[in-house]
Parts: sequence; C-alpha cells; structure tokens
Amino acid sequence: MSWRLLQMSLRVLCVAAALQLAAQPEAGVFTTVDVFVVSDTPVAAWQVELTERRGTMQIVGIESGDDSSFRDPPFYDRVATMRGATDRIVLASFSLSEAEQLQRGRVRIARLHVRTVGAAQPDYEARLVAAGTSDGRPIDAQLNLETQPGR
Amino acid sequence: MANAYVAKKRAQHLASTLLGAALALFAACSAVPPADQSGSAAGPLEEIVVTGSRNGPRGGSVSPLQAERQVMTSPQAIVTLEADEAALRVAGVRPGGSQLLSQVQPGEELWVIQTVSAETATEDTEPGSGTMLALVAATRGVPPTEVPLPLRHTDVRAVVTGYISAVDVTQQFENPYDEKIEAVYLFPLPEKAAVNEFVMTIGERKIRGILREKEEAQRIYEDARAQGYRASLLVQHRPNIFEQKVANIEPGKRIDVNIRYFHTLAYEDGWYSFVFPTVVGPRYNPQGSKSPVAALPRENFSNEAAGTAVRYLRPTERSAHDIGISIDVDAGVAIEELTASHEIVTRRDGESVAHVALAGGSTMPNRDFILKFRVAGETIKTNLLTYTDERTEQGYFTLLVYPPARQTALRRQPVEMVFVVDTSGSMSGQPIAQARAAIDAALDRLERGDTFQIMNFSYDVKQFASRPVAATDENIRRARDYVRQLGGQGGTEMLSGIRAALGFPRDAERTRFVTFLTDGYIGNEVEILGEVQRTIGDARIFSFGVGNSVNRYLLDGLATEGRGTVAYLGLNDSAEEVMAYYFERISRPALTDVAIDWNGLATTDVYPARLPDLFAGRPIVVTGKFRGRVGDVGIRGRLGAERVAFGVGAAHDSQQPALRSLWARLRIEDLARRQTRSGDPGGALANSIRATALEHSLMSAYTSFVAVDASERTAGDRGTTVNQAVPVPAGVRYDTTVIADR
Repeated sequence: MSWRLLQMSLRVLCVAAALQLAAQPEAGVFTTVDVFVVSDTPVAAWQVELTERRGTMQIVGIESGDDSSFRDPPFYDRVATMRGATDRIVLASFSLSEAEQLQRGRVRIARLHVRTVGAAQPDYEARLVAAGTSDGRPIDAQLNLETQPGR
Repeated sequence: MANAYVAKKRAQHLASTLLGAALALFAACSAVPPADQSGSAAGPLEEIVVTGSRNGPRGGSVSPLQAERQVMTSPQAIVTLEADEAALRVAGVRPGGSQLLSQVQPGEELWVIQTVSAETATEDTEPGSGTMLALVAATRGVPPTEVPLPLRHTDVRAVVTGYISAVDVTQQFENPYDEKIEAVYLFPLPEKAAVNEFVMTIGERKIRGILREKEEAQRIYEDARAQGYRASLLVQHRPNIFEQKVANIEPGKRIDVNIRYFHTLAYEDGWYSFVFPTVVGPRYNPQGSKSPVAALPRENFSNEAAGTAVRYLRPTERSAHDIGISIDVDAGVAIEELTASHEIVTRRDGESVAHVALAGGSTMPNRDFILKFRVAGETIKTNLLTYTDERTEQGYFTLLVYPPARQTALRRQPVEMVFVVDTSGSMSGQPIAQARAAIDAALDRLERGDTFQIMNFSYDVKQFASRPVAATDENIRRARDYVRQLGGQGGTEMLSGIRAALGFPRDAERTRFVTFLTDGYIGNEVEILGEVQRTIGDARIFSFGVGNSVNRYLLDGLATEGRGTVAYLGLNDSAEEVMAYYFERISRPALTDVAIDWNGLATTDVYPARLPDLFAGRPIVVTGKFRGRVGDVGIRGRLGAERVAFGVGAAHDSQQPALRSLWARLRIEDLARRQTRSGDPGGALANSIRATALEHSLMSAYTSFVAVDASERTAGDRGTTVNQAVPVPAGVRYDTTVIADR
C-alpha cells in the first residue's frame, strides 16, 4: 500500500517537474548585430534588408547608429516580424540634416538586438537596398556587419 | 480572522511617518485584547455602539447621528464618523460585556471599515483576532509621507492637428533602492488610442521596441530579464489600461520608455476635448469576473496570480511621480476659447494656433487632464479627410458628419426616462453628491407626457417606484426625496443595474432613455457591454461619467452600444449645466436612418458599420478605406417624418499617415465588439485582431511591444519586482474602494 503510494507520489512529482520545465521560457542567446555603411559621400537615407539563413533570428530591438543627426532609431518593415517570419527584416532611416553635418567613411547606421534559440549558429546576410544623399541622389555604398555576443 | 476593523485618523496629533503609523498601530492592537483572552472584553464583537451628542458624527451611512446612541451591526458597513464639537465614544459589545474602543475628539475622524455579524463572529476564534484599532496619520494638516518608487516623471507632448492628435508619452523610471529592480506600472491611456511606437532609452541610446504576439513578447522579456539584460514590455489589459514592465534597472540608474499614439478628439456642443488620463481608478470585480483588475493596498503582494492589480498609495502617502503636459494645437480654424481642468499657461501664435502647458511645469497625477477649445461657431461642418498610402495605393478616410442646423428647430416626443445611479463605495462622497445634483436638475426638465423611474445599484438594485411614473409635480417631489437619501456604499454589481433598466416591459408610446450615472470603476466591462448589446432593443443609453478619472472605455462603450451619447461630469463641474446640455440634445429629434451616399466610390471596412442616430451638437466620425478618386459625397437621413439630405464639402488630402493607424484601431475595436457579442475570446475574430494589429504595428489584446538591450548584461540576479503604487483619483475615497479582500 505504502509502496504504491510512494510510486504515485513520484509520478506526480515527475509530471509536475516536467510541466514546470515546459512553462519556463526557452533560454535564448542575446547578441547584437552592427550594420555599417562605407561611403565617401555622406548618407542621408538608407534601406537595408537583413536575412538570417538558418531561421533562428528574432529581432528584439533596433538601436540608432553612431550618427546623432539621425534622430529616431531606424524603422522596420512590420510584415517581416509577423508570425513565422523570423528570418528577414527590412530597416530604413533618414536624416533631415545638411550634408556637412552627416558622417562619412565607415559609419555604423544601426545596431540590431537579436535573440537566437537552438544550437545552430546564425548566418547573416545583409543587402543595401538603397542609399541616398541629402539632396536625393542615390549612392553606391558598401555594407558591413559585425556581430557581438551580449557581454 | 479579524472581522471588524476600526481605523482612527487623527488630524493633527500623529507623526506622519510610516514608522509612526506602524508604532501607533502596534500600540493600538496591543491595547485591545484578542478575542480568546479572558475578561469582560473577551469574545467576538456583536456590535459597535457610537454614543455622542446630536451635533457629533456626520458622513457615511449612519450620519448624521439621529439619537445619542447608535448601533452598527451591518456586516458590510464602511462608515466615517467625525466629531464636530463634542467627543464621541465608540464601544464594541461582546458576549461578556462592552469595551471602549476609541474616543473621537473634535477634528478627528474614525473609520469603521467593517462591523461584525453574529454569523461570522461565532467562527472567529483564532488567537489574535477580534477588533483591531489602528491609528494612522490623516491628510489634513499633516504632510504626506513620500514612498520611494521607481517612476519619477511622466512627460506628455501632444500635437493636435484639426481633430487628430499625436501624443508622445515618456515614462522615466529610476531605481531608488540599493539593489536591482524590475519596475511594474499599470497606467491608463485614452480608450481609442492607437499605440504604434515604443522606444526604450538608456542614457543616450535609443532602442526601438518590436511589436510581437503577446505570448511571444512575454517570453522574450522573461528570458532577457532572467539573463540580466535590460528590457521593457508593454501589455494591454483593457483598451484603456496598459502595463509597463522594465527589467534590470540598476541602483541609481534610469531607463526611459517612450510610447507614441494617435487618437481623435471628441467634439460636443462647439467644444473639442483633448483628454489625458493619469490614473486607473479602483475597480470593483464581481465574483467570477474573468479578467479582474483588483484594487489593492500598496504593500499587498498576494494577488499576482489572480489577474491584474493596481496598487494604491494611502491618503497619507505620495510618491515622487509627477506629470508634465504640453500641447501644440493647430485647429485649422480660429480658436475662440481655451479652457482646462488644470491651471495652464497658454501662448497664442495666430488665430488658429495655441501652445498649452501645465502651469508650474508638472502636477500630481491623480485626475484626468482635459483641454477644451471652442472654434468659431459657424465653421464646424461636415468634412472629409483622406490619406493614400503611396506604396499600396490604399486610401483611408475620416468623415466628420455634423448634424444639420434645422434639427434644432423641432421638438421631441415624450420619453420614458430611466435614471440608473451607481451607489457603490467608490461613488461615496463628492461623486454621489454630483450624481444627486444631476438627477435633481434633470427632474426639473421633464415635461408633461414624460414618465420616469429611478434605480440605484451597489450589491443589489433598488428603485423609486414599482414601474415608471408620470412626471407630475407630486411624483417629482417624491423622487427628489428618494434621490436625497442616496449614498455610496458596497460593491458595483452593474450587470444587475443594466438588466433592471433594460429588462422591464417597454412603453409603446415612449422611447426609453436610460441615463446611467457612474464612475465606471468595475473590472467586468466586457460582460456589461455584451449584456447591453443583447438587450438594448430600441432603448437608448446616455452615459454620464461622474468623477475626475472615470473609466471612459466603459462609459463610451455604454453609449455606443446603447446608441446614445456620453457626457462627463467632473467633481467641480456644474451638474445643472451638464444636464442642461444633455436635455438640449435629447429635446430635439435625432437624425435617424443616417446613410452616406459615396457616389460610386469603392469604400470598404467602414466604421461604425451601422451609423448611429445623429443628435444635435454631436457629430459622428466615420472611418474607412477606399480606392479610386473621391467625388461628391452626400448624407441622407430622416428627421421625424421628413427625409433630409445634405452634401459634404470637397475631400481634403490630409497627408497624414495617422489616418491609417486610426482606421486600424477602429477595425480592432469593431472586431472586439463582435467578439464580445459572440462570447468567444479565441477563434477567427481573435486571429483577425492579431493580424490587423501586427500589420499596422498597433497594440492590442493580442500584441505587445518588447525591447531588449542585448549589448550588455547587468550584474547580479533578476532583481526584485517593485509595483508602482498610484494615488486614488481625486475625489475617490481610499477607505471605501481599496480594501484587502477586493
């Protein structure tokens, strides 16, 4: 009788422990992805598409870059963060400042705060969709990415 | 369990510190023997007896004292006694005899929070239970104690263009403690706010939040919090109640959260109103409420799993949180007059532009801020604003339909007027006095041929007469007597009030006008609005929000579902004036069967789908989508027996993307109403709300904003959660609304 009771108690404890584990959020890895534009001509507006090839990326924040003349943090394409769409995001930003106030050279234009879940290492690819000067001319600029795990 | 609680407030004599109050409480408790001790005072209380002169106590349900001895045995009594001139003696009577509990001197107050009933008293045998006499500092003449809490300041900056406002709200959280904290703050926003931006600021760094499905956002936030990353999460609990969480704020450090929303201004009788609510009022949650919003004392941590809870500061406490508001108004037409609920500084910049700010820079957030401006009398007319999304070529519009001037020339038909008054504890004091004054003024305006009824509800419903009576002088005199004795006490079983007002047989000769007077402090809004949807029939509900921080989501919802209008009666407003406006409105026939002639324009998803009646002085706003070129648009309707039609001026391309957000917000509201009607919280309607919110980046019941700073972990564990306690709204009594068992 008491052996059965013990067995039942153990079973209940195991189920409770399993339920508790299931209720806990899965621990993800938080990293940042810095997006740089390299251009001798000051960039006043830009649009970037970022893809994560393994489908593990979850954007959890979008931070401004180093050029303080871009007042707001970059905007993002809403549809890309809808259900199931975790592998791609389109970002854009603009500044109303004059060309001489804008930075040139290698400039960090955005920092993405990212959470990844699972064992696979993320594999990022970025594409500069468009870049323009303060008077609306397109620029042929380069794009770099730098990832950094959360310290 | 203690089943009686007597709290004495001393106006001038007690130390105001918490320590002082705690010591006083301890001393007082020690002075009253527990129920199981021997002696003449042993045993549970059977009644509380107050003795004093006839000039003695006033206020509460036993006031004024009619005799020199008064007995209180009601199990739910929440009573305030105040000695004016002579001392009062308050004694508890037990089986073994009576015992003096307290004496109330002139200038002091005594609260009897709950007296015993014989039924419960017999079960009260636990050691340490019995009567607890607490001495706490009062607000009168004693500076409040400052409670250290994380929310320091709320900054509100609004830009009003025409009748659309864009509002930036920045909440500044700062950790005043020696260890890391998570700050949790429950706050109100306008019920139709389209919240579409969220930015977390740490020092100079700005991190834009991402809108995600609610559960997913919650998972991300909890994960970040557990790992020590700074994060923030915004959750919607009601269309007008939101919860802000900010994780891992280090000692002495500050994190700001910025929220942006759009909404449309209300227009009534020549005035536009911009409203910014500052505090969530304490709600009553009937038993079985599916999603309660509890009103708890600041130090109560017991309700975490039961749903949403607002923690309140005592009247003797305040936090450092204050609020600053500035508004730039460009009305588009000349502004003739500006007025506000608070003291303001106004700078004019031309006829149609004004810059408004709170005088002194900031204020305590315990009542709604309301800015009203009146524009030139003849310039308000029906008009159409459009916006076309260049990328998708999708058009959005808002159409303000203004009642035709000739509507005011006709008289109304006789009505069956049903006044329904909330007489629950939160209405006690000034709010119920305002409600009484409003009904008194309304009774003056009834006409021969009208009938009327008065109903009041708290735990149950009472009524003036068994059925509606004719508006004769004698009946009105008797009604005034009935209204005079209405007080505020007990719970808010509003569902019973709604059923009573809409449930009795209809009068074929008269349209039923239900005039609902309440602060709306209840947590079961969805059930209430669902009941009105089901039972409204051809009656109309006109809701009056009584108080300084009322539940506008409920009051607007009652008027919408009841096809009437809403009005607000602040505690310093003239009840006569507000009622005069109301009767002016209903004394003219409404334009019924209102329809819009789009003249071939392809419109879709138009809200409201069924146009309400158009009352004099109250325009309606219609919002929808269109494709193609906007041509001539006209309005048709029926005024009594006569058909009327009038044209809308040329459409104005507003170039405001806000129209898209406002349309999406109304679509979500419409879907939520259909969901309420269907009684199904999940299913296809929930998916539609979720999809609309995600597509338009809007907060909803199914979507939340989350922002994480993944660049750096903070040291130490996940930190202690600190709930931001708030003051009860001005005019609302803490003692009758915030109690531990709510």
